[in-house]
Amino acid sequence: MNRLLPVFIFCILASSFSRREKEKIQINGSAQGTTYHITYYAKDCVVVKSQIDSLLSAIDQSLSLYNPHSLINQFNQSNEGLTVDDHFITVIKAAQYVFQKTNGLFDITIGPLTKAWGFGPVKPDSLPNKKAIQSLLPCVDSKLLKWEGKKLKKKKPCVQLDANGIAQGYSVDQIGLLLEQYGINDYLVELGGEIRVKGKKWPEQTKMSVGIEAPGEDFAPTALKKIVWLDKGALTTSGNYRRYRESGGKHLSHLINPKTGYPFDNELISVTVYAPDAITADAYDNALMGMGLRQALDFVEKQPGLGAYFIYRQKNGNIADSASRIFRSLLQP
Amino acid sequence: MKRRDFIEKTGLLTGGLLLGSSWHAMAATAGPLKMAIIGCGDRGLGILSVLAEQKEQFTLTAVCDLLDFRLEAARKDPFASSAKVYKDYRQVLDDKNVQGVIIATSLDMHFSIAADALKAGKHVYLEKTMTYSIPEAIELVKLSASYPAQTLVVGHQYRYTPLYFKVKDMITKGYLGTVTQIDCRWDRNWNWRRPVPAGYTDEQINWRMYKRHSGGLPAELLSHQMDFINWAFDTHPDEIMGTGGIDYYKDGRETYDNVQAILRYNTKGMIGNFGATCGNAREGYIFKIKGTRGMVSLLPHEGVFYPEKDAKKELETVDGVTGATRIEWNKDGGIPLMTEKMKDGTWYAMQEFYNCVTQKKMPVSNVRTGATTAVCVHLANQAIYSHSIQTWKPEFNFI
Repeated sequence: MNRLLPVFIFCILASSFSRREKEKIQINGSAQGTTYHITYYAKDCVVVKSQIDSLLSAIDQSLSLYNPHSLINQFNQSNEGLTVDDHFITVIKAAQYVFQKTNGLFDITIGPLTKAWGFGPVKPDSLPNKKAIQSLLPCVDSKLLKWEGKKLKKKKPCVQLDANGIAQGYSVDQIGLLLEQYGINDYLVELGGEIRVKGKKWPEQTKMSVGIEAPGEDFAPTALKKIVWLDKGALTTSGNYRRYRESGGKHLSHLINPKTGYPFDNELISVTVYAPDAITADAYDNALMGMGLRQALDFVEKQPGLGAYFIYRQKNGNIADSASRIFRSLLQP
Repeated sequence: MKRRDFIEKTGLLTGGLLLGSSWHAMAATAGPLKMAIIGCGDRGLGILSVLAEQKEQFTLTAVCDLLDFRLEAARKDPFASSAKVYKDYRQVLDDKNVQGVIIATSLDMHFSIAADALKAGKHVYLEKTMTYSIPEAIELVKLSASYPAQTLVVGHQYRYTPLYFKVKDMITKGYLGTVTQIDCRWDRNWNWRRPVPAGYTDEQINWRMYKRHSGGLPAELLSHQMDFINWAFDTHPDEIMGTGGIDYYKDGRETYDNVQAILRYNTKGMIGNFGATCGNAREGYIFKIKGTRGMVSLLPHEGVFYPEKDAKKELETVDGVTGATRIEWNKDGGIPLMTEKMKDGTWYAMQEFYNCVTQKKMPVSNVRTGATTAVCVHLANQAIYSHSIQTWKPEFNFI
């Protein structure tokens, strides 16, 4: 059995030995409440795990709601906002861009609502009632954010950010850029199911294959619904088949509609977005989940460089899928 | 007619005709339930602390124990500061200010107190194992049917956690494939005795050591796992083999310190191995359910699913996988079942108790499932004590 396995080189040993051909090098670890898996092809272990961990730790310091001292938590607790770092600026500006493009369906000021529904670090024992939701809605609107240089201001003290819908995509991009700084141009970076790819596998020089998980119940390992082939770009998936709360026997999606304050409830089970970079893919995937199949497909086809693959439930209960034009082209090796 | 329909259709007509003071229980829907704890040992105080976390649902109006030092300990809890103190449980049952009782006494007293509580119109949360003997289990099932407006929850609290519901769901949906083997242990490396304060007898404190009071390790520990298997697979064992002995702590105890029971489930094609020793703590709690597609390994508040190789194979053929909140694999090839921290099982069990009383629902762990498990425990003990094979009888089919 072992002889069938490809040779993996782990960057544990010193990188002093040199090889003529590129080798497959893997780095695995845990960060941001999930795991990451990095594969790159190089002649040496030019990037090691500690570099990845310190990069992710810096992003956590900036954008993680689970880190009590993070900038995002400081911003949320502040009355007027504060001066933020470059990670913060990039992510919030990307979020504001997608807020406009999606007519407010992706909104990084969703914080008070995700918290109330129990999808933040603290889990309330009960679900919010109508009155509670109504009281939070005036705090949710990206138009309540205003930049003054590197200072992000809030127009109401109750404005709270939640970057969970976009920070993982950003982190994946940053890891990719770190690899590129070291001259690595063939890699696949995956963090919590968000993926960024560049280049090819060596020595076969084929595109990288990425499986799209079929929606399964909860934790169960499921088959792959589709396999796509990439040599550039990013794939992220948003879905409501794993992360949810239950109420009256019904699964409540962790994706909250910023306009109504209630979880999205439509036929979509998951959407996988292809974009040039992961921050873009990640920002769009949640909003597409909220649009419903028809509108989401129309939307994607109008965005240059964007592709999407939808898994949804038909009215008769059957599971079906649908892909945009760009996405269909990825299905060929 | 389903029980709920029956209640809805007959409640108004029969409300005034029910025996004794049943109207107390019927009127329990407004505000917190007024509870009494009968039996204030470790378990009783543990439940008290959970009630104190659920002040919107419960108030504590009385505590009861035969032993003074236990009553004193109970009264020290701020939640019990205004509770009346009784030494005789019958006085608790006479107290019109008590709507529900928690029975956390020695096993031999479970039946008589629970039966009297039902007759007195109280809702009952009865610690596991439900009864000391099989005839008592049969009798309590019959008696409970005469008091349909009153809730009786049996305290197999672990099955109320989201984790155990999830595992039941996995089993029902076939994620484990065909289950053939179940391995359960609940081990420790100490004598399982409590210190006896001056002025009290060993039998009062360490009643678990005495056959006339206790079903020993199977009743106190393994009953939880036996109960879960019955519930999750909607089954019961057909044959029970057992063995055991007083193998290390030869300190005058009567119940065994080392037991093993093998339960054969014919209709499901399963073998359950249930064992407990007081002579080794290395593995402690083990609960493994093994199927053709995967195994679940459970701790009281944690669970990991280990898919068999074929189920994993496909996931390993690609360079990466994208998915929503993707599955996390442990280093040992398992998938943790719960990503969020849970509360103790008793917390969920008391919520269920409250909901069943106020919404007149049948509890998940009810008198019939409790009786089924009680029979399993007693047959296991009979097998263990007599080194024999016990068989299930039709009169044990409560469900």
